Amino acid sequence: MEVFSGLLQGFQVALTASNLTLCVVGVVLGTVIGVMPGLGPSATIAMLLPLTFKLEPTGAMIMLAGIYYGAKYGGSTTSILLNVPGESSSVVTCIDGYQMARKGRAGAALGMAAIASFIAGTFGVVALMLVAPPLAQMSLAFSAPEYFALMVLGLTMVVLLAGESLTKAVLAMLVGLWIAGMGTDLFTATSRFTFGRLELLGGIDFIIVAIGVFAIGEVIGNMELEKPAQMIPVPKGLRNLLPTWDDMKRCRFAFLNGSVVGFLIGVLPGAGATIASFLSYGIEKGVSRHPEEFGHGAIEGVAAPEGANNAETGGALVPLLTLGIPGSGTTAILLAALVLWGFKPGPLFIQDSPQLFWGLVASMYIGNVLLLVLNLPLVAVFAQLLKVPSYAMYPLILGISIVGVYSVSSSMFHLGLLAGFGLLGYAMRKLDYPTAPLVLGLVLGDPMEKALRQSLMMSQGDLSILLRPIPSVLLGIAALLLVVPIFKKFNAVRVQVIDREA
Amino acid sequence: MQRARNIVAATLAAIAVATALPALAQWTPTKPVEVIVHTGPGGGSDVLARAIVTMMEKEKLVPVRMQVINKPGGNGAVAAAALSEKGNDSHTLGLVTSVWIANALTTAEAKVTVHDLKPIAQLMLEPAVFAVKADSPYKTLKEFVDAAKAKPGALKQSGGSVTSRDNIVRQQLQHATGAKWAYVSFPGGGERLAALLGGHVDIMVIEPQEAGEQVRAGKLRVLAQLSEKRLPGYPDAPTLKEAGFDIQPTPQVRGVVAPPAMPADAAAYWEGRFARLRETPSWKKYVADNQLEEHFLPGEQFRASIQEISKQLREQFVLAGIKVVR
Repeated sequence: MEVFSGLLQGFQVALTASNLTLCVVGVVLGTVIGVMPGLGPSATIAMLLPLTFKLEPTGAMIMLAGIYYGAKYGGSTTSILLNVPGESSSVVTCIDGYQMARKGRAGAALGMAAIASFIAGTFGVVALMLVAPPLAQMSLAFSAPEYFALMVLGLTMVVLLAGESLTKAVLAMLVGLWIAGMGTDLFTATSRFTFGRLELLGGIDFIIVAIGVFAIGEVIGNMELEKPAQMIPVPKGLRNLLPTWDDMKRCRFAFLNGSVVGFLIGVLPGAGATIASFLSYGIEKGVSRHPEEFGHGAIEGVAAPEGANNAETGGALVPLLTLGIPGSGTTAILLAALVLWGFKPGPLFIQDSPQLFWGLVASMYIGNVLLLVLNLPLVAVFAQLLKVPSYAMYPLILGISIVGVYSVSSSMFHLGLLAGFGLLGYAMRKLDYPTAPLVLGLVLGDPMEKALRQSLMMSQGDLSILLRPIPSVLLGIAALLLVVPIFKKFNAVRVQVIDREA
Repeated sequence: MQRARNIVAATLAAIAVATALPALAQWTPTKPVEVIVHTGPGGGSDVLARAIVTMMEKEKLVPVRMQVINKPGGNGAVAAAALSEKGNDSHTLGLVTSVWIANALTTAEAKVTVHDLKPIAQLMLEPAVFAVKADSPYKTLKEFVDAAKAKPGALKQSGGSVTSRDNIVRQQLQHATGAKWAYVSFPGGGERLAALLGGHVDIMVIEPQEAGEQVRAGKLRVLAQLSEKRLPGYPDAPTLKEAGFDIQPTPQVRGVVAPPAMPADAAAYWEGRFARLRETPSWKKYVADNQLEEHFLPGEQFRASIQEISKQLREQFVLAGIKVVR
């Protein structure tokens, strides 16, 4: 009942003309910056922070949150159409989304991304509303050993992301892990693999590598083809563009998977949307009845990660609003904003400021509906982009990639890195190395290393700290994931041998 | 005679006007000003810079627009290089913290450091408190230190990088008492606090504003504060000296610097603006809301302050076995 009256109060707050306007402004702005590679929600919110002093805090928070989850909707657009991830949490969407677009199903992929985002985003808000305080307490049980096990579990997904050869996938992943180790080491303040370059002290931003190996590598690879790639037919009419009922049925589990995984990972202060999207993709492929379709345009491969990165928003707000703990860059700015407006984010925040909390929750329901209504018609517009001939398309992709990287780093050195990773992506394509494991290693490498070293610092070097209950279970699943394919292979060989003998 | 006197007076007046002229034609900014910070959007310096920009605008202290430029990477090394490249530009400023001073000591790649830049003004000190979980057995810092002494290495503190203030004060306490406890680095403040609230570590150094809400909710207990005088928000928590530890924690400063060759008139202008800023109600409210310690120093004194902190940090780093490169 308390939830019901709270929500009612929240809708009264969120549905005032000014707050509704701010919600619309937030989600539209979020979609736009989500579509643009490079510029992310955290930079946008930081830039708008001074403006928000002139607003009433609840309305300002509604707008900033709208940018935060709106960007997750927009992030998939360029991933699907151009193979350029719009946000780091949409990197994994490139894998199947772009393949779908190449098969003329861009509309279905874009539509599914919006629908999955809506379902999981709404799930995230419901969960935030219902289970936030107890879940926040439970998330505190998660510490370094648990994170380490989670990252190991994530890394075993290399088995699932591997194409023909597991060896090649593992090699690519190791390169990713190596790149993740670059920069100033937190624990000893020494520099690793910086080659004396000032610009490498902060490590290499994951989005530069992802844009390089995915987008630039793809463009170089395609330019080489003697015959220009066949023009992709774009069906006419919005109805024919959107996902079919069959697509929806296929994605039933992906919606659930994305919602739950995204939300739970979001609650953990040490993970984040990118890791959530990778994990849900891995789970989706792991349980799928036709895993061979993944990587070649499986629609579940779009629905699961796009759902996960949206459910993550609701999850990430749990520790922020119930414990005063920011788990990511964007929530850290939201926390700073709350302090600047004179609020006191902490364990008593919801109790002290029910109007802001419930107003925010209600606005997120409204915002998700708005985003669905906004994004579905946009599918028709964006899908036309594929009619652009390749001599115009490739320069466009290159331009968007360069602007995206420059807007994050404003440095020529990083554009050089982008070119380097583009060539690496091209070489990997030529030599038939999968690129997704490299990106996976890069995403998980840094948190995994930190978690392991933190665990061992806590236990004074005793490895048994990794055998606490939660890590044991996670590591057990990881081991199983690694062993099963080997067993299958062994079995296949055995069957062959028996056949031959027979 | 009268006329002669008038002529003298007029001449004197003319001379006075002539000498006063340069002062009247004081330098003022003519185009948008960039404020370079070393953190990404949402980091400590970034938020402070955006707050300063807003306050300068609101109090109408600067006639042009100011914008924040993020130059993250290398704990200030990238931002210091960016400021240095501006040479004699009068329309660029930078916000520095103690991190820049520590980084200058440990990072070989940094060709330009905070010492090569022109100090404009020290703005504030950032106080901090030692906190434990509310259900922790340790009621005072002495009890914690004694427990650490009884079981060397068994107790744990969560904090940031090994060169951060959190670790330096731990080193000082360990050195003064002979106790030993572990230090676990976490990249984000949220993770440090989560580790303490989850019972994975035993103690942490935390900002007073952040700790205040946890204390009010009955989640944390503050054992001691790292400032010289008791903070208004913590009238009952002893300072380190009052708690019986004769150590001088290295202050955590925040201040403003400029490109190395900024002309003197422009530097004086900016120093004056920040001196005015601290008199404004907006600034006073900001300092109070965030429980900061106002500590203004003009340019040359800020340079001395940086050098003093650098000296203290070098001693501590050597004691802690951290490699010092310059």
